[in-house]
Amino acid sequence: MTAPALLMSGVEVRFPGLGSPALAVPDLRIAAGAMVAVAGPSGSGKSTLVNVLTGLERPARGTVRWGGTDIAALSEGARDRWRGAHVGLVMQDFHLFPGLSALDNVLLPARMARAADRALVARAAELLAGMGLDRPRQRIETLSRGEMQRVAIARALLRRPGIIVADEPTASLDAATGELIAGLLIGLARDSGATLIVVTHDPALIQRLPRRIALARGSVVAADLAEAA
Amino acid sequence: MGRFIWADLRRIWPGALVMVVLVALAVALGTGVTLQERALRLGSARAASAFDLVIGAPGSETQLALSTVFLQAAALPLMPGEVLAELEADPRVAWAAPVGFGDYYGDIPLVGTTTRLVEEMVPAFAGGRMFVNHGEAVVGARVPLQIGARITPSHGAVSHGGAAHEDVEYHVVGRLQPTGTAWDRAILVPIRAVWAVHGMAGGHGHGHDAQPGHDDHDHAHVEPSAPLDESWHGAGTPGPPAVLVKPASIADAYKLRQEYRARPDTLAVFPAEVLTGLYGLMGDARQVLAAVAIGAQALVAVALVMVTVIHVGQRRRQVAALRAFGAPRGAIFVLVWSQMLVLLAAGIVLGHAAGWLAAVQLSRLVAARQGFELPVEWAAGDAGAFALLLGVGAVLAALPAFIAYRQPAVASLRG
Repeated sequence: MTAPALLMSGVEVRFPGLGSPALAVPDLRIAAGAMVAVAGPSGSGKSTLVNVLTGLERPARGTVRWGGTDIAALSEGARDRWRGAHVGLVMQDFHLFPGLSALDNVLLPARMARAADRALVARAAELLAGMGLDRPRQRIETLSRGEMQRVAIARALLRRPGIIVADEPTASLDAATGELIAGLLIGLARDSGATLIVVTHDPALIQRLPRRIALARGSVVAADLAEAA
Repeated sequence: MGRFIWADLRRIWPGALVMVVLVALAVALGTGVTLQERALRLGSARAASAFDLVIGAPGSETQLALSTVFLQAAALPLMPGEVLAELEADPRVAWAAPVGFGDYYGDIPLVGTTTRLVEEMVPAFAGGRMFVNHGEAVVGARVPLQIGARITPSHGAVSHGGAAHEDVEYHVVGRLQPTGTAWDRAILVPIRAVWAVHGMAGGHGHGHDAQPGHDDHDHAHVEPSAPLDESWHGAGTPGPPAVLVKPASIADAYKLRQEYRARPDTLAVFPAEVLTGLYGLMGDARQVLAAVAIGAQALVAVALVMVTVIHVGQRRRQVAALRAFGAPRGAIFVLVWSQMLVLLAAGIVLGHAAGWLAAVQLSRLVAARQGFELPVEWAAGDAGAFALLLGVGAVLAALPAFIAYRQPAVASLRG
């Protein structure tokens, strides 16, 4: 899957009862295959930005164009399908499901989307093995946190998404493990050519990403996207 | 997906178990009532099938039927002795046999009757032979007595304070095969022996009451070796409480019933018809119980819906995460729906099994106490009821599934 570029314009998200918009992005472009850190204090709109970028939330106004698709114009079901096919998500809390093996966890969303054929099952095993997890049948709750996040990354990469979005992927890990995971995430994204967007507070992780967007009070206050493009 | 459902159920197993047990209990209540009522109907119809027509003295039709079919203890009035001879001579009668009640061995009823009735009612002997004189007895399949046993009867059941006929002794000479009726729990003796025990052989049977409370034992005398005399033409034939009549044809059965109902000194009933009237009552009781069972099921259903709606609320994060990772809404619906349905179906299946077991146990209890079998059987309609319950379960399960389906994908995934 080739990585799409992002073209966001006129996007505004408001929550009822709040005066100022949670997110207001008049214009934001991210090149295909770019690697971007999104930073900002809590409440600055980072989560809302992730939700809009991944189609989890539809902005009241504006367009969110990934490649040729404006996901802000898609129906809920179409956004589900689009997200399943194009976006790999990695989250701070892993969101792995206890009682299932590492392999079953990697495959679960794809199975629910009826996308898990034999090739995909084989790929899931390869991804786990590639990350040094050599017991894919092991119950997920018996793994260490670092191993859990690796399983979550494998799940995000399973369907070869063109976009990888990581929301504080290192925040619940110790420094050494965080660094390992950051390296793994960036390396895999680079190898696959996917566009990588990482929301993070972690200065070490921000340092490893060539570009960054700073958010404050729902707006982009600094973006050094152009210089490295 | 199946593995995911299983893993999730295992995670919440105490709650899941409570759900299954609740459903099973509610379903078992309904199934048990249905099966037990059917068993009672089938069992008593079978027990009554050998008794085409019963003729007795005027009194309660229901009591006459219950006393002959189920050997229920009651004070039956006696009818004129010559009726027996008349019936025997009647061409519309295939055979007729008197029955006499009132004596017991412990709590087991003794029934005075004829060899003809034993031959007609029971398929064969399991051991031994027919009684041939006044000192011999034949026992039903469920009577805990061996061939060769010697028994002294009492007037009235011992548990009700019956007095022993101390000078009377029967010798058990035969054991019958089971018939599935109350008569399996009876000891059959020659009717003339019963009459002799009660001092009625002398031909003053008219208007006599052979039941407890009437003291006519003073001149009781049984000659054990006296041979059987089963012809009733003598003028001195005592009056029995009931005569079983096998009519020659169905038309004859109705004619006989009409004729003996019209007489002032007799009563004629089809036990099956009397029981049908009782089933009507029983059917009403069943409907009340069925309504109670349905009410219980509805309560459980409402409770379960509330529990599962709360459960889905607690799963918001999980559902949101699945959506974020690309699982479509339809798959979320199927996930929640099938998980709920698995629990409901398990409860429904277990409930049917439990209801059946309960009915079988109850039938065993009744068979041990009353002697007649209550066959617990499934009918075609039960499959329909089963399918209906599953259908209702499927609809109920759709509610939490729909809530999960409607849940926005963007629910808080952090913290």
